[in-house]
Order: sequence, then C-alpha cells, then structure tokens
Amino acid sequence: MKKVRIVALREDRKALLEHLQDSALIQIRKPDKSEKRFSNENVGAKVQVFERNVTLMEQALKILDTYSREKKGMLSAFAGRREVDPDEIGAIASKAGEVVKVCNAIVDLNKQIADNSAEQVRVKTSLAQLELWKNLDIPLNTADTKSTAVFIGTLPAMYNDSSLSEKLAAENPKLEFEFEIQQAENNMTCIVLFAPLSQKTMAEDVLRSLGFARPMSPTHKIPKVKAQRLWEKLEKLDKNSEEAKEKIIALADRREDIKVTQDYFRIRADKYNVINELEHTRHVFVINGYIPEEDCEKLQKLCDRVAPCWLEFEDAGDDAPVKLKNNRFARPAENILTMYAAPSREDIDPSPLLAFFFYFFFGMMFSDAGYGLLMVVAIGIVLKVFKPDERMRNNLKLFQYCGISTFFWGLIFGSIFGDAPASLYNLFTGSSITMKDILPWPTLDPQKDALMLMVISIAFGLVHILVGMGCKFYVCLRQKRYAEAFFDTGLWMLMLVGFAVLGVGMATSHTVLMIGAGIAIACAVGLVLTQGRSKKGFGKVIGGLASLYDVTGYISDLLSYSRLLALGLTTGVMAQVFNMLASMFGTSWLGIIFMVLILLIGHAINIGLNALGSYVHTMRLQYVEMFSKFYEGGGTEFEPFSLKSKYIKIKEEK
Amino acid sequence: MAIIMFENGMFFALVGASLATALAGFGSAKGVGGAAQASMGVLSEDSSMFGKMLVLTLLPGTQGLYGFIVGFLILVNCGVLGGAVPTVAQGLAYLGASLAIGIGGMVSGFAQGRAAVSGIAMSAKDDRNFSKAMVSVTLVEIYALLAFIVSLLVVISVPALGI
Repeated sequence: MKKVRIVALREDRKALLEHLQDSALIQIRKPDKSEKRFSNENVGAKVQVFERNVTLMEQALKILDTYSREKKGMLSAFAGRREVDPDEIGAIASKAGEVVKVCNAIVDLNKQIADNSAEQVRVKTSLAQLELWKNLDIPLNTADTKSTAVFIGTLPAMYNDSSLSEKLAAENPKLEFEFEIQQAENNMTCIVLFAPLSQKTMAEDVLRSLGFARPMSPTHKIPKVKAQRLWEKLEKLDKNSEEAKEKIIALADRREDIKVTQDYFRIRADKYNVINELEHTRHVFVINGYIPEEDCEKLQKLCDRVAPCWLEFEDAGDDAPVKLKNNRFARPAENILTMYAAPSREDIDPSPLLAFFFYFFFGMMFSDAGYGLLMVVAIGIVLKVFKPDERMRNNLKLFQYCGISTFFWGLIFGSIFGDAPASLYNLFTGSSITMKDILPWPTLDPQKDALMLMVISIAFGLVHILVGMGCKFYVCLRQKRYAEAFFDTGLWMLMLVGFAVLGVGMATSHTVLMIGAGIAIACAVGLVLTQGRSKKGFGKVIGGLASLYDVTGYISDLLSYSRLLALGLTTGVMAQVFNMLASMFGTSWLGIIFMVLILLIGHAINIGLNALGSYVHTMRLQYVEMFSKFYEGGGTEFEPFSLKSKYIKIKEEK
Repeated sequence: MAIIMFENGMFFALVGASLATALAGFGSAKGVGGAAQASMGVLSEDSSMFGKMLVLTLLPGTQGLYGFIVGFLILVNCGVLGGAVPTVAQGLAYLGASLAIGIGGMVSGFAQGRAAVSGIAMSAKDDRNFSKAMVSVTLVEIYALLAFIVSLLVVISVPALGI
C-alpha cells in the first residue's frame, strides 16, 4: 500500500474525479492536518440535495412496490447490476429532473391517499356520533324559541319515558317540562327536553345534576341530512384514493428509470462528498489517498490521459488499509476472512490456507458425490445466467469449490445421493447390494468404520492446528521475536507432533511409541524451563509448570474435529433414510410417483440442512481452532472511491 | 406379557431409539422455537435479514438430527429395518447408548437455543456481528457432538458384541 498525492488544476476536477471513481483505484484519505494555505470547499448543500433525491426515490420505489409489486424471479437475488454504457449516463442525467418530478408526484399521491384515509376515520367518527340522533328532525343546535327553552343532549344512564320523568320530578318538583327520548342504550340516553323559558335556569340545574351533556359538535343541519352528506364525503374520499392508486400504478413502468436515476444521484453524492475532503487553493486542488502498490502505474497512466497533474507516492504508515490479493483459488475465501476481521499489518494474509481447509473440511462434512455435482452445476448455471456482482460471485465460487471437494469426498465415502443407486437397483430387481458392491474403488463407510474415520478426522485436525501454529511461528520470525517463535510456538508444535507419534506408536510398535514419548517429555521439560521467563524468582517455576496446563486446550481443540465425522455421517444417514422411505411404496406407477416426490423433497431438505451445518461448522473450525493460533485481525479493509451503485454499473471502456 | 417383553432385547432397543429421537428432538424443538420467535421479532422490522436469521434459528436444530440418526441406526441394527433381533443385553446396551445423545442433545438444545436468541439480538443491532454470533452459538454444539459420537460408537459396535 502506498500513499498518493495528486495535484491538479481546479478546472479538471470534475473529469479527474469521475475517472477516479470509475476506475476504483484509490481510497480517499483525509489530509493529515489542514494547512493554512489550503482551503476546503464546502459542497454540503449540493450533497444534501443529491441525498434528498436518493431518499425521495427510495420512498417512491417503496410506494410503487406496495401498490404494484415488482415481479421478481426466485433467483433474482443472484443477479448482478445492469451494465450501462458510459454514454447512457448523459441521457440519465438529462432525464433526472423529470424523474424527480415523477417521484414527487408518486410521493404526493401517496400522501393524498394517507390524508384521505385519515379524513375517512374522522368522518366515520362523526357518523357514529350522528347515529344516536338519526330520528331527530330538528338541527342539533336548535335555539330557544320565544317562550320555550330547548335542551338537546345526552344523559349518562339509561332511562325510559316514565323513569326519566320521575327522576326529573324528584330533582325539582316545580319544573315544568316536556321531553322526547331519541335513543336509549346502555349508560346513555339521548333526549330533547323543552321547558318554559322562564324556568331555563331551573331546568339547567336539574339537568346538570343528572349529568346532561350537549353533543360535541352541534350543527345547524338536521342529523339525517348531515349523515347523508358525510356518507357522500366518505364515498368521494374512497374514489379519490382509488384514483390516486391507479395513477401510482400507471407510473409503475417508470420504476427502471427511477432506479437508474437514483444510482446517478447516489454516485454524484459520493463524488461531492469526496470534494469535501480535498484541499484547494485558488487554482489547484489536492487529492490524498491510498493506493495498492501494483496499481500506481495504472493511476499514473490514467491521470496523464485525463488532465495535466502531478503525482507523488510515498510509503504508507501503519494505519494504512489492507487490500487482499489472491489467486482465483483463494479469492472466494477472502469474504470468510473479512467476516472475521481484516488482517492487521503484522498478520500474514491467510486466505490461501483458509481457502484450502475450508473447501477440504466442507467437502468432508457434506460428503456426497451427488450433492457436490449438483452444487457445481447449479452454481455454474447461476454464474452464467445472472452474471452476479463481484461479492456475490465470490460467495458462489466458494461454494462451487466446496462442491468439487464434496464430490470427491462423496466418492471416498461411497455416497451418491446417499445410497440411491444401490437402493433403486434393489427396489427394481429385488436384490440386496450395497454401495460397496457398485463402486469399483475401495470406499470408507462412515457408518461401519466410524472409529477409523474419527481418528482420520482428528489427524486432519492436528494438521490444521499445526499449520495455524506454523503461521504464528513464521509471523514471530518475521518480526524477530525469536523467543516467542521457538519457545511459545515451536515447542508446542513439537509436543503435538510427539503426541501424534506416540499415538501411532500405540497402534504399531513399541519403538515408535518410545520415540513419541521422548519427544513429548523433552518438549514438556523445555516448556517448563522457558514459559516462566518473563516472571521473577519463584514465579518462573510456577509459570513454567502452569503452561503445561494448556495441553487441555489443545486436546479440546483436537476433539472438536470429531465434528468432521459427525456431520459427514449425518448427511449420509439422512440421505439413506429418505432413500429408504422412497422405496417403501413398491414399483407400481403410483409407487414410482411417490418415490420421485419423496426423493426430490427429501434430498432437498437434506441439502438445505446439511449444507448449512457444514458451512457453519467449517467456519467455526477456521475461526476458533485455527485463527486463534495466530491471527490478530483488526486491520481496515481497502475501500476504494468507486461507483457504489445499487442497480447499474458502468461498462468498462476497452 | 412380561416374559415376551424380556425374551429378547427388542423392547429395550426400541425404547432406546425412541428416547434418543424424542429427547434430542425436544431440546432442538425448544431451542429452534425460541430462536424463531426472536428472529421473527427482528424480521418484522427488517425483512431483508431473513437469510441470516434463518441460519441462527436453525443452529439449535442439529441435536434433533443427531438423536434421529442414533434412533435410526438402532432401528437398522435391531431387526426393525434390517439386522438381527438383539439379545436382552444388546437391547440394554442400545438403551444405555441412546441416553447420551438423548440427554446431552436435549440440554445442549436448550442452551444453544438461548445462545441463538442472544445472537439474533446481537446481529439485529449490527449486521457485522453476524459471523461472531454464529461462531459463538456453535460453541455450544460441541457437547451435543460428543454425546452423539459416544452414542454412535456404541450403537454401531453392539451387533458385533457377543453379549
């Protein structure tokens, strides 16, 4: 990684930035400290406009999706961004204003629909209130006449004619009144009461003591008429919303335009954000950035072609970002690595090792030739048809390599869709052969030779752990931390090898056993002598002895690899179960239909469950057992200034 | 009745097969159930997390599979789906072997389910935590695996035992 400084004329800024963004060569770096002679140009306002447009279009797309769902294929998630000619960008830019208008229209229409439904709720509430007064043939706010006071309202209890007159009389026997009950229901009675105008205050008092309340929104219209109007209003709102919806749906064919324009604004916002980070004088501007060493020449050429400018490279410091570069075989594993952590500057890039062991262990766990072949072919087709983006393509490639490994492990375990070939042959001929009889090469049946396979699994685990420790050894040597390399890592590695030899010796000869034991004991002595070296006095001995306790850690690490056996067995047995179920219905036509159905569904389930299990457990073996031995992580990834678009990418100029 | 039951080891072998499948399945069902509830909470906010949530939800599901495999292998070995009818001692051996994955699978299923719920909460807060959550949740699984391997080694070696 190098630091780069590009100095160019301000009038070339647009062109230069555009080319840098297209080529994705450099990562923009904030200048170390702002120097007086440079000024920053504030383009925040412009960025805001672009970002607002991006959000607007996001909203518009979401609204379009609610009213007319975009038809997507099941596999469309794999599809890469659409390639766009550089010339097309001009066309997109010229149409952008119009598309913004369309989006505004969509958002407005949606707002109208929302307002309408809010209004509908209000109208419905009024209607519910009016419902109580539907039999009343005078307006709710009828005023007193010359001689009569009119009270229209509700009482908070249920009355009928006689009980209400009794109640009123009981309150004030002097009051003269006449009333009509409009509606009486639980806890509520709607009444119209007339009293002589001279007794108005008396009537008011009586009514108040009964809890009389006037209606909330008295109108001068007769309730029936008012209700009619409200119903009409409701219908109108409904119609209006329907129309708005239709208008939105009619705009659905603009979806592609909106997406493209959204990307256009996204790219521009990114570009202007970068301008914020640049240093300017009156005539020139300076770009600071990081660039991978191998790309320096490319950048030089690019800059020479675009505009007169001056480049300066220098070595990057410790905080420089890291760019992983690997060959085709290891690149897919980079995603797995960065999911854990990007390597720090001290680390080596373990991608190739990670890739090899990932494919190897995944294959051993998934271990079925049929499934492996299916993975390779299916992913091959997806890669061809959908042309996914870089990241997705790498993920798919990862599984394709895993598929190859799965295929070979399947052959070793004698498993092709479980024991499908044998079980089908038996079904139709009535014989009873096993996979061992069909396959011409010697197989290792995980069910019969489980113990053997467990030993093999742990042996692979030992190799895996030793490779991890080897990396640590190498890293320490490179940094000239010799004590750490030889005493902390080397001795343990030797000790593990000693145990391995001892194990082999137990099965074969006494001499080998003694050699193994000798190595292990020598290493143990070495560890006791060296591990307390940083401590003082008596602590030296204790520290040395205590370090031997780490052996439990290594044992549990090694046992952890027994999952290779367990998961390998799981795939095989599950497949076998489904094959058995499938062959239970005999060879009649109906039986064969059932058989095909069960085989399809069963193996699909098995692939889903066990591929997930294999992926997760392989990852765990890498992260927990191997990375813990040497990998520090904590670096930052190289993130070039590039076109971070969602839907389109610019076709590279050839 | 009692005499027929103990004439050969079939009864014990079948109890063993049932225990292995049912107990481990119980653990997984509870674990996956809890994780599924948590993940649905997350999905109601952001449905694009479905893939990641699915992985975390399914992690406590393997115990049930292990139990089922042990149960199935017992059936294959003890004369239900092939093999010879076991003796009483062999039947008891199957029963004993099935307890490892039955109990180990059940309890680790509960524990892994709880870990998965926390993992789901963690990944919901920040996408980048996902791989860490996933690996942490798989740490629990080693105990189910060990139980499974013990059960498995016994079950496949019983027919050859002269008991």
